[in-house]
Amino acid sequence: MKMRLIASLIVAPVILAAALAVPHAQRGAPAAARGFPRTAEGKPDFSGMWDNPKPASGPMRGPATVFDRGKFPRFKPGGEAFYEPRTGDPRHDEPRAFCMPSGFPSAFLGPYPVQMVQNSKYLVMTTEFMRVTRIIPLDGRPHQTDIEPTYYGDSVGRWEGDTLVIDTTQFKRWSLDDNYYGNPKEYRMHSDAFHTIERLTRTDLNTIKYDFTVDDPKIFTAAWTENWEFKLHPEWEKTGLYEMVCNENNRCPGGKCEKP
Amino acid sequence: MRSRIIAWLGMLVVSGVPLLAHHSAVAEYDLEKPVKMSGTVTRVEWSNPHIWFYVDVKNPDGTITNWGFSGGAPGVLQRRGISRTAMKPGDVVKVEGFRAKDGSTNGSGNTVTFEDGRRVFTAMEGFQQK
Repeated sequence: MKMRLIASLIVAPVILAAALAVPHAQRGAPAAARGFPRTAEGKPDFSGMWDNPKPASGPMRGPATVFDRGKFPRFKPGGEAFYEPRTGDPRHDEPRAFCMPSGFPSAFLGPYPVQMVQNSKYLVMTTEFMRVTRIIPLDGRPHQTDIEPTYYGDSVGRWEGDTLVIDTTQFKRWSLDDNYYGNPKEYRMHSDAFHTIERLTRTDLNTIKYDFTVDDPKIFTAAWTENWEFKLHPEWEKTGLYEMVCNENNRCPGGKCEKP
Repeated sequence: MRSRIIAWLGMLVVSGVPLLAHHSAVAEYDLEKPVKMSGTVTRVEWSNPHIWFYVDVKNPDGTITNWGFSGGAPGVLQRRGISRTAMKPGDVVKVEGFRAKDGSTNGSGNTVTFEDGRRVFTAMEGFQQK
């Protein structure tokens, strides 16, 4: 009995210290879910510097992540217009050369870091590319109505357990992705019915599983999903995102160079 | 440290990892018109959306032409260990890249080789894939 008491006196402070070392929000979480930070509300905290989303497996098809043509469902009649041919006019074929926006999701798929900052109300995602920022409300609110379509759409977030689901609609017709290197003759565009569903699940300290569903009912007979992931790069915290102002010195827009 | 950076840059060249600019390279440069020339760096613009550097190149008739070459985005280069001091006015360099579509004395500056053989990979996206 005496030995037990002594053992308890030794073990109890150790257990207490271990409990205090676990952030409040993580207590009670399944063991597998520990190992990454959580918000005060107990939700996964995605804050940090991340590499751009990439396929969880399989080869890259160019410097930017692009949608896998092999996954595309059948076109609806007329949906082939999605593959608008490049015309040779750079204003049509590559509006970014004139510092026009990439739009979503293309802007977030190039090889630039994405910084995420999160609190209980919002997730802010900023890519270094043109410093495009998405501010996503997390309170489960519905989409806005009667708004003008935009390059980046209207995003709303909600939690399904530990998975953040971001639903985005109300896009204007624009580039789907940067597929120059997949097929230089193709210019993939989405319609104004473009609708995306992102599902972010932090699977460990260094990884966010990022399932990206495209639903474009004017073009495709069904929705399809890419299985990408974000990888954490804490070493990029030191410098943060670098500035990228496209109009600063864009000397050769569309191949016509200005004098220096 | 410096030798490590150079070695790492060399690996980039060998592995063909592209550095992305703000758009596809084929929108501005003619991949059918490679350029390869040597000269003296006169100016470096460490600016977005690409760095630019200018090189005085001696023509066969003895005249000098100042060529402009673009590289990757400054942030992308800095994150990979290439700083604005990697190349300075007065450096003698050999530049390999592709000519601007308008035929002007501008081009993409994919790879810079210094007199001592060190190479700095300043390329924009995709050129290594050709």
